[in-house]
Amino acid sequence: MKRTGSCCLPAILLLAMSAAAEESRVTRLEDGGHERVPLNTVAPAYPAIARRDRIEGDVQVCFDVDREGRPYRIAVRHSTNRVFEKPAIRAIRASRYQPLPEDQAVPAIKTCRTFRFRLESATAD
Amino acid sequence: MTIAHYLLLLTLLGSLALAQGTAGQSDATAKTVIGPGNVDLADGAAALRIGEAEDGVRLTQRGLATAGSRRDRVAGYSNLCAGLVMLDRLDEALEACNRALELDDGHWRSYSNRALVYLKQERYEEAERDITACEGLNPNARTLKTIRAMYRDAVDPVSPSIIIDDRRDATPDEADR
Repeated sequence: MKRTGSCCLPAILLLAMSAAAEESRVTRLEDGGHERVPLNTVAPAYPAIARRDRIEGDVQVCFDVDREGRPYRIAVRHSTNRVFEKPAIRAIRASRYQPLPEDQAVPAIKTCRTFRFRLESATAD
Repeated sequence: MTIAHYLLLLTLLGSLALAQGTAGQSDATAKTVIGPGNVDLADGAAALRIGEAEDGVRLTQRGLATAGSRRDRVAGYSNLCAGLVMLDRLDEALEACNRALELDDGHWRSYSNRALVYLKQERYEEAERDITACEGLNPNARTLKTIRAMYRDAVDPVSPSIIIDDRRDATPDEADR
């Protein structure tokens, strides 16, 4: 199977994204270890109730990506709190991957993404 | 109107004592009510509910002048406190809340309203005390959760952060479960 997108990336790539979901600071961690290359990564909104009640958590979502780069068969694999699941699924649904050339087979392996919802002290340096 | 003002308005509306429909009842009687007994208190509460703070305060003050029962006066002063907070007349609001609590020290809405006054005055210790009192009286009140959140945001503000982890071995942090 031909792998894409894994050759030239550093072990961990940290990207601070300014065009984030409302008021959230967004950080991306990548190691280039996945079959498909992200094209447009949408960050989930931090649920208002979770923010209000100071709840943090993680959600891992796994899915297939079609030839055009659209995620489908999206499912939560792990979740520490259900309040984060819907925003995570919505974010995946809105995200896109690079389309595959016609001569390249669509990988059968699922792609997974973990969202970590955190609250940082606003008074810290 | 800023988000903070909007949130405050929503919280205050949730904190209004139910003068409408109960005004005029004596403390321990009158299970059947045919219309509000104190029209001004009821209209004042209705005005405050739709955010008409000036009308709400005026009508509530007029209603309080003729309020007979202790229950009406408690609801009236508590609503007056809420309306005055909306108008940013904090010292008067505090006085109204104090009057309500002098009449009934178990009135959770008055604690909740007074906590908002203290928050706006940045008197956080007193706000915390009233929020705690309120939680003891009505722990499930939705308004209370909002006020608790406003208190936390005031004394320990946080900002949300999302980490998108595409690493192959990424798994949810078990410590969060």
